[in-house]
Amino acid sequence: MKRILIDSSKCAGCKNCSIACMQARRPDGSVYDIDLTSPQHESRNTILINAQKQCKPLFCRHCSNPACVKSCMSGAMVKSPETGHVGYDPEKCAECFMCVMNCPFGVLKPDRATGTYVVKCDFCADHNSEPQCVKNCPTGAIRVEEVEQ
Amino acid sequence: MTQRFSCTTCASADKTLECFVADLPLETSFHRVESQEIKCGFGLQGVCCRLCANGPCRITPDSPKGVCGANADTIVGRNFLRSVAAGSGCYIHVIENTARNLKNTAIAKGELKGKKALERLCGMLDISGTDEWDKAEKIADAVLADLYKPLFEEMSLTKNMSYEPRYKRWQELGILPGGAKSEIVAGVVKSSTNLNSDPVDMLLHCMRLGISTGIFGLTLTNLLNDALMGEPEIRMASVGLRVIDPEYINIMVTGHQHSMIAYLQECLTDEAIVKKAQEAGAKGIKLVGCTCVGQDLQVRGAHCTGFYDGHAGNNFTSEAILATGAIDVVLTEFNCTLPGIEPICDALQIKQICIDTIAKKANAQTVDYSFDEREKATAFILDEVIATYKSRRSQVPLNMLPEHGNDNTLTGLSEASLKGFLGDTWQPLIDLIVSGQIKGLAAVVGCSNLTGEGHDVLTVKLTQELIKKDILVLTAGCSSGGIENCGLMSPEAAELAGPQLKAVCQALGIPPVLNFGPCLAIGRLEIIAMEVAQALNIDIPQLPLVLSAPQWLEEQALADGAFGLALGLPVHLGLPPFVTGSPIAVQVLCKDMLELTGGQILINGDAAESANLLEDIIIQKRKGLGLS
Repeated sequence: MKRILIDSSKCAGCKNCSIACMQARRPDGSVYDIDLTSPQHESRNTILINAQKQCKPLFCRHCSNPACVKSCMSGAMVKSPETGHVGYDPEKCAECFMCVMNCPFGVLKPDRATGTYVVKCDFCADHNSEPQCVKNCPTGAIRVEEVEQ
Repeated sequence: MTQRFSCTTCASADKTLECFVADLPLETSFHRVESQEIKCGFGLQGVCCRLCANGPCRITPDSPKGVCGANADTIVGRNFLRSVAAGSGCYIHVIENTARNLKNTAIAKGELKGKKALERLCGMLDISGTDEWDKAEKIADAVLADLYKPLFEEMSLTKNMSYEPRYKRWQELGILPGGAKSEIVAGVVKSSTNLNSDPVDMLLHCMRLGISTGIFGLTLTNLLNDALMGEPEIRMASVGLRVIDPEYINIMVTGHQHSMIAYLQECLTDEAIVKKAQEAGAKGIKLVGCTCVGQDLQVRGAHCTGFYDGHAGNNFTSEAILATGAIDVVLTEFNCTLPGIEPICDALQIKQICIDTIAKKANAQTVDYSFDEREKATAFILDEVIATYKSRRSQVPLNMLPEHGNDNTLTGLSEASLKGFLGDTWQPLIDLIVSGQIKGLAAVVGCSNLTGEGHDVLTVKLTQELIKKDILVLTAGCSSGGIENCGLMSPEAAELAGPQLKAVCQALGIPPVLNFGPCLAIGRLEIIAMEVAQALNIDIPQLPLVLSAPQWLEEQALADGAFGLALGLPVHLGLPPFVTGSPIAVQVLCKDMLELTGGQILINGDAAESANLLEDIIIQKRKGLGLS
């Protein structure tokens, strides 16, 4: 199954992965016309700076043993046995945000605009599972690889 | 057999060129497009700010303001104004040098080839003099004096050169420019760290820069060059890589300043020089046209016989021209001279000489080419040219492309030569527009770039779509170079036009796309717009005329676009000019400008859709004039 692997030594902190993610969730338009100030277009990924001032890209790892799925009591978070990707169904979500509390990477968050659902990577299901963040990374800091489960 | 440099190259509307470049063993811009395919989204929207050490700051939902507090509107306003100011600076440098060359030639009582142009200028600028040199010197002095005026003092020639209703509107809007150089400085200062934060003020400053760029950098540069270098005369010419004759020593010229090579070009047919070239084994020395100065030579081809073979191609064709191996020297006086030619020049032992330090190339030899030093400098350059030919030609294989381009491109068009062709009146053109045989005019101008679908692709497709709709296309800039090499400026291209335009072209023996040459000639198109509007007693925004820079590339094009907006024209662009991150900039440039100057920016990267948009505007404007 496919995963996004990160080589943070290559990350230049350009945040192109974030813009690509914002655009990937929109039904139309292009990178030129996303309202970059609107929380409606929140990115599923981000880049943090660690104590050594190095860029640390933060992405959903679709973990083998996902803490978000284990802590989800409503069944909104489910790991697909076929793809290995962790999916999220906002309809089933009880807004307890235990997944946010338990994510070991700190990547999950409630949406900023309404605080009623979890902002979660779906491996670009609407883009034939070709993560747009990877496609738009200019340095190759993130890549998609087939891994053993 | 040579090895291809790589398997993936950018597409071109010019398929012969595309195949030639794809097979080259050298790296060109066409090869680098793929590796630069990923663009920075913040840059595309114009919301990356690196004006201070707190940056670069970028706008995201989590960070809607820069550290200083600047929002997307302020960041875009500053970035855009900086670009327009830089673009204006390029053109103002060109007119400054042109005026200085005219002045120095006049003082030296040198040859002024364009007597009619000189008289026209005297009429336009209210200048009289004792003889042609006195007049030329006064014209040059008047232009230079205006360029150097302070910000608070209006340039005195603006009024002379402007169409009255436009001048009045600019006055009402408070956008009449002060000294052209001061306007550039003001633009750079306004957009510096923690100064101006008002996006609307900065966009209006762009209009001031557009007016000074258009009237001085564009229109007057053409007219001064015409007086000095000769007026364009309509004729047929060969274009494309076929113009390069390997039996000659070839100098590829790049830049925008025809007057810089006034002395040098005449020396090429000098008997002693030809003899030297022949002793070296060549038939003589010729200039090969590339970029806009090549278009200038082409448009003045009637005055360039014997030393100019024709225009080979536009900015992104320059690497291919060099790759033929038949170019011995690149002579640079300005942009658009790609840094990418440098390794090609090294690989093919081509010498680079630069005669304007502003355009110093990394591997080029700079020659002090001041007016006073012109004889010495020319002698030195020609010695270098001949020596380079001797040392390299036996070692560098030729890779010619004689099938590229064509031998029947109509050229030599200017506001004066076209009017002359029509019988010294615009009435025949007006009649054709009124009757609907020509639905309207579209100026397809500006650069070429390698984005979107590829080199010249949108430019050529849009042109094809427009002529199909009976819209006569006029070109100026690298768009001319691309369109001519694709054959649309040959009379035979009338077949591709709509039935009405086709009939007009066939009756007159002209192509449906008229080539006015360099980007500077946008100024010639402005004169045509002004004179036609004058004949109809209407303002320019009422004309069924649209402007498009489908493949704009650089800052100069943004200054041209600002001029188009100030004139009140619809300005179509294939790609946004890095402003879409600001809702205010988009609102002002695409909508509110209609109320201010009458102009508007339209952005569309699809040829058919863009042609429909532009046709709709032309139809609307026709209705406004009571035409069906």
